[in-house]
Amino acid sequence: MKRWLAALVAATLCGCTAVAPYQRGYLARDDMAFDPSPGTARALEKTYSAKEGASGGASVGGGGCGCN
Amino acid sequence: MRRFAAALALLLISQAAGAVEAGAAAPALDMPRLDQPAARLPLASLRGKVVYVDFWASWCVPCRLSMPALETLYREHRDQGFIVVGVNKDVSADDAKRFLGKVGVSFPLVSDLGDAAARGFDVKAMPSGYLVDRKGVVRKVHRGFTGETAAQLRGEIDALMKEPS
Repeated sequence: MKRWLAALVAATLCGCTAVAPYQRGYLARDDMAFDPSPGTARALEKTYSAKEGASGGASVGGGGCGCN
Repeated sequence: MRRFAAALALLLISQAAGAVEAGAAAPALDMPRLDQPAARLPLASLRGKVVYVDFWASWCVPCRLSMPALETLYREHRDQGFIVVGVNKDVSADDAKRFLGKVGVSFPLVSDLGDAAARGFDVKAMPSGYLVDRKGVVRKVHRGFTGETAAQLRGEIDALMKEPS
């Protein structure tokens, strides 16, 4: 069992690779961003919280008290 | 468990050991020019000059600050035997050209598509700059770039220019 686990860990680690600082050109592309358009996302979030009468729940600070 | 810890420590040490630091000889590199790939620029051909090897890319935010600063330093010192070699780390040459359209520089630029130069210096941050003296020895390494770096670099270049070749 231990050997099997060790083999599994080794196989999993083989799939990992470090991205060197000078290889981050691909990661820096706009379409690689977690949120490609922060401005639009913020506007949508504001509209959503105004319509729902509550904020929060979408990774923002505060929790629906309407005070922020 | 001990063996695992030892293997992990060895792995970490081996990753940190390769970086070129002050006091080491500059790696012998021969890189194609960015604007004319058929022409090459061997670092060895610059022996006798004070060289600043700068790794930059269009996606590197501090490079927007470093490139104009290096251009100023190059213009000020080039007649006394100082040269900047900009090693581009863009995946696409078009990205580099777009950047250079905004931030024009007159010092020689080379491309490093196979990462040979970046691996040779074992670049740990972007931008990274290596100040090489007239004998081909790395004397200072700058990782990252701020306004303070430019002032510091000016002093270091002035000091190295006074050293005999």
